[in-house]
Amino acid sequence: MKGRDTLLALLIPAVILTIWYVVSETGIIPVYLLPHPGTIFHSGALYIFGTPGQGPYAGRFLNDFIASLGRVLLGFSIAAALGIPLGIMSGRVALVNRLVSTTINGLRAVPGICWLPLAMIWFGIGIKTTVFLVAMAAFFPIYLNTLTGARLIGPIYFQAGAMLGVSRFRSIFAILIPMAMPNIIAGLRLGMGISWAYLVLGELTGVPNGLGAVIMDARMLGQIDIIVVGILLIALIGRMCDRLLFFAMRLCFKSAKRLT
Amino acid sequence: MTSLTGKILKAPDESRKSFLEIADLSHSFAGNGRDRRILNHVSFSIARGELVCLIGQSGCGKSTILNIIAGFLRPTSGHCLLEGKSVIGPGPDRCVVFQEDALFPWLTVRENIAFGLKSGSLSLKGHFEEVDRFLELVDLQGYGDYLPREISGGMKQRVALARVLIRSPQLLLMDEPFGALDAQIRENIQELLIKLWQKGSQTILFVTHDVQEAIALADRVLLLEHDSRQIREELVIPLDRPRDRGSEMFQAYCRQLRQGL
Repeated sequence: MKGRDTLLALLIPAVILTIWYVVSETGIIPVYLLPHPGTIFHSGALYIFGTPGQGPYAGRFLNDFIASLGRVLLGFSIAAALGIPLGIMSGRVALVNRLVSTTINGLRAVPGICWLPLAMIWFGIGIKTTVFLVAMAAFFPIYLNTLTGARLIGPIYFQAGAMLGVSRFRSIFAILIPMAMPNIIAGLRLGMGISWAYLVLGELTGVPNGLGAVIMDARMLGQIDIIVVGILLIALIGRMCDRLLFFAMRLCFKSAKRLT
Repeated sequence: MTSLTGKILKAPDESRKSFLEIADLSHSFAGNGRDRRILNHVSFSIARGELVCLIGQSGCGKSTILNIIAGFLRPTSGHCLLEGKSVIGPGPDRCVVFQEDALFPWLTVRENIAFGLKSGSLSLKGHFEEVDRFLELVDLQGYGDYLPREISGGMKQRVALARVLIRSPQLLLMDEPFGALDAQIRENIQELLIKLWQKGSQTILFVTHDVQEAIALADRVLLLEHDSRQIREELVIPLDRPRDRGSEMFQAYCRQLRQGL
């Protein structure tokens, strides 16, 4: 069963790769628009495993990866630290919701890219701008999903808690968060996904390292193969981050393990 | 009332007053711009150790009374006195078995039963043995590690019963707890409840709309009328337990109660 699931998951990538190979090999799509998969593989291997000196991008991967991962995790953590408590409060306290929902939903309507010029003026070029954009983008799905989860809990569970001797404050951790856990996890996973998108946006602005910076750099030098390598690596790392996040939540929380 | 109610075997009025006293209770909900009266000057009292059924059509305010006694709801006017003290919120002396499944879905059966113990002083080892004892009490040995979604409705309600009994409340409030179960399972769990009640020292207020259930369980049945929103009738059931549902007397009580409804 497990093996068949893996096969199914790899089916579409395999089909795409095959088509790609055929169109490159036959010249239907010229290599200056989309490089041959073999070229991508070679450039990717050099980028990841090469040593500096073998080429302009050789061996830079680890450095870029660590830089990008750090920015994503920092921005994502800020988003989660703000989004979860605020979502819980808005979901359970009507007054708080009335107070903040207009503002938050108004801000949500602004495309993240609009913040880029302002962020560059505020924070300059570098890590702060990227982290700000990532945190800004990841906040909304985390906040909204937590809010929904918190709001949907039936009053009966809090009544049951009260009669079983759980104080109002303790019920936040003993009842509310576990009950809302499936939604909180959904929000965190969406937030993590969007974090990688905004990471690239933030890094397009001239930071020296990072996966987004490499893509931008390669564009200016006309190295399409490296652009594609960057895209594929972000897809792969984003997917891994999602699995790791899910796995870690299930490891840390009984409710995550049993309700998702 | 007919001759059936002539012999009152249990609890003279004096001791009745001492445990739970509902005096002149009224409650209204605001809805659609006008108040809707749910309870209209309801008064009754229950003696310590008594099993009283509160019966009435759906929507007549039975659950509202229970929620007020549980402390989940403040009445618009009137008093709810438990051992002479006014009820102002949920307390360890009262527990509710809800109509719907209110177990915590991310906790196993054992963890659900232990949930109410956490603030207690028992060590974890002690917890475990105590929980096992209550699992056995409700005939759920071997199901301790199951999740609520993995067991049947009847088993869930037995867990719900165990998780409140472990806190040894003085007053057990039951809000149509077996309403969703099919007939045979319902009879079994009713018998289990009677067995546990006879063993323990709980006082039980049991809300139902099922006539058979009320006659099978109760020392006394209170009939809450839908239109007047008051207790209209009181029926003492002096039948010995276990009660034979097929017997002439049992059926006679059922008929009488049905007429009242």
